Amino acid sequence: MTENSIVSSHTKSGGMKWIKIKEQITGYLFILPALIIIGVFGLFPIGYSFYMSLFNWQVTKGPFIGLKNYEKIIGDWMGLLIFLAGLVLLVIAYWVWGKAFKPTANGGLITKLLGAILLIGGGVLFLTGWGKMYDIGNKDFLKSLIVTLYYALGTVPTEIIIGMVLAYILYQNIKGKEIFRMIFFLPYVTPTVSTAIVFQIIFSSRPTSFANMIIRAIGMDPLKWRFESKPITQLLGWNIEGFFAGPSLALITIIIFGIWTYIGYNSVIFLAGLGNISKEIYEAAEIDGASKSGMFRFITIPLLSPVTFYLSLVAFIGTFKAFNHIYVLRVPSAQDSVITASIEIFDRFYKANQYGAATAQAIVLFLVILGLTLVQNKLMGERVFYG
Amino acid sequence: MASAAEAIATRKSRKKSSFNFLGFIGRLFMYLILIIGAIICLFPFFWMVSTALMTLGETINRKLFPEVPQWINFVDAWKQAKFGKYFLNSVLTTLGTLTGLLFTSILAGYAFGRVKFAGKNFLFAIFLATMMIPASVTLIPNYMIIRGNVIPLPGGSWINSYWALTVPFMANAFSIFLLKQFFAQIPHELWDAARIDGCDHLRFLIQIVLPISKAPVMTVVLFGFTFAWNSFAWPLLVTTKDTWRPLMVGLWTFVTEAGPETHLLMAGAVISLVPVLIVYFITQKQFTQGIATTGLKG
Repeated sequence: MTENSIVSSHTKSGGMKWIKIKEQITGYLFILPALIIIGVFGLFPIGYSFYMSLFNWQVTKGPFIGLKNYEKIIGDWMGLLIFLAGLVLLVIAYWVWGKAFKPTANGGLITKLLGAILLIGGGVLFLTGWGKMYDIGNKDFLKSLIVTLYYALGTVPTEIIIGMVLAYILYQNIKGKEIFRMIFFLPYVTPTVSTAIVFQIIFSSRPTSFANMIIRAIGMDPLKWRFESKPITQLLGWNIEGFFAGPSLALITIIIFGIWTYIGYNSVIFLAGLGNISKEIYEAAEIDGASKSGMFRFITIPLLSPVTFYLSLVAFIGTFKAFNHIYVLRVPSAQDSVITASIEIFDRFYKANQYGAATAQAIVLFLVILGLTLVQNKLMGERVFYG
Repeated sequence: MASAAEAIATRKSRKKSSFNFLGFIGRLFMYLILIIGAIICLFPFFWMVSTALMTLGETINRKLFPEVPQWINFVDAWKQAKFGKYFLNSVLTTLGTLTGLLFTSILAGYAFGRVKFAGKNFLFAIFLATMMIPASVTLIPNYMIIRGNVIPLPGGSWINSYWALTVPFMANAFSIFLLKQFFAQIPHELWDAARIDGCDHLRFLIQIVLPISKAPVMTVVLFGFTFAWNSFAWPLLVTTKDTWRPLMVGLWTFVTEAGPETHLLMAGAVISLVPVLIVYFITQKQFTQGIATTGLKG
């Protein structure tokens, strides 16, 4: 039915219009149930969260206090400004370095120098700003962001490397491939709470717990595992303070659980990615005399980079959302060394009943996730090879 | 001449045999990694089951296996520790959530995939954006909504009710996205033919689209099932009495309320795994394939 026929015949055009209107109505009717539920429980809460964060809201709504809740988190607006300026400088430094190390760049030395200065300046500003914020701001929440960062750095790279190796092995002609894949995937499908309570027992501080049996077998003294709030570097006897002291043993236990859960998921997705790489590339490389390890390094890894990118993005954001297993595995004696951002928000709301402060923290967390996603998209997106 | 040819032949065969030997070692090494990985993946489950079959004394003075398997533990966990009740709650919650989820996402997925209406792309983008929002942000307002503080709810507050556990999860962007992708691929000729026969969208969806969409619908069911079955933070918030408690909350409160009765706790954990394992083993292939394809496209 062309436009001409619609124009020429009045009745027909009326019919077409009616069909189009009917199509519109059908569309809206079909999405209505989903729209109501997602609207009420997915979209409305964002606005309402922000609304709540502007009040001194403790169980019931209190007086309007503007941005006070945010001020309490950040502590010092000046500190935040310096912190963000440092962040911007670091991004610029990264960009300049990227330019300087391109083989075609002219005047490389000057750009390199500029990059280095920017990097140092950015780093200094970044740390000063953070220090200012940490001094006055809400230590519970700011510390929880650091714990989350430890958790992310501890889980994501390990998870991805092990997942890739397992997928690569499974992709060779392996007998019982299906069975192995099924087993590796099991920790991901089974409920986290159920498996986390098993880890509670395996990593308990009792001298007879399984984790302690293992380390006794290699001649070490029993450890407190989930109950240990000291950073691992201090347990190893090094005297490091601050950020570089690293995560506590209790957090490491939770990291082990996180890795255990996600390896199978990652390898299943890597396996699918490997299946998409055409066999001909490998055959051509083999004819040219490439070795197995060479093919892995120069064919498999670059061609898998979109998958790696996707997985690390999802996993990194996932660590900021992770809740169930951390909530189950944490114990009071591990103190704040295992309280990640999502746990801190839940506690502030559920235990301390400070609804306003909790929603403000949630909004800040959301902004952090949003920012990280954008930065990661930019940084890693450039290095991804889309075959 | 002959000796030279022989030399080449032997060199070839030697090369071949040494290559095979290296290949053999390599394969052995690969199997070793896979087997170690499998043991690590399975070990916590073994520990769970073996503890569930022990006496209380055996759980404290730990051995690998119970002397005599205490099958009675499962009966005790089911009845005394109320895991039977929690199990039923979980089953009902999961079924309710799934029914609602299928209803909303099939309709919306179809509309986004195949119906032309104004503002479609805009609405779809907004739906997708909700996937980015962390649960921490929505949790508190949703709690206020369920308490009836924001909008009037039928029956006042929904705390300690079936509605609180199911309704908020009866739609999600991921399921809609998944189904939309599949529905949009169905050839237009099919719809044209159906329309000539006087078919409208609803009949076309039910009679033609759904029967050929078993795979994506199944994926939605599987994801919805695991999500509903495993949910923990939300039911912890909205249930204050054990009459409404689902299994995951039951397991967690058992640790704090009942103390160190580890054997019963582990029996409860085993009970909580059974439905997941049954569903997983039946649909194993679809499940992993579903995750692989959605994972790559998402």
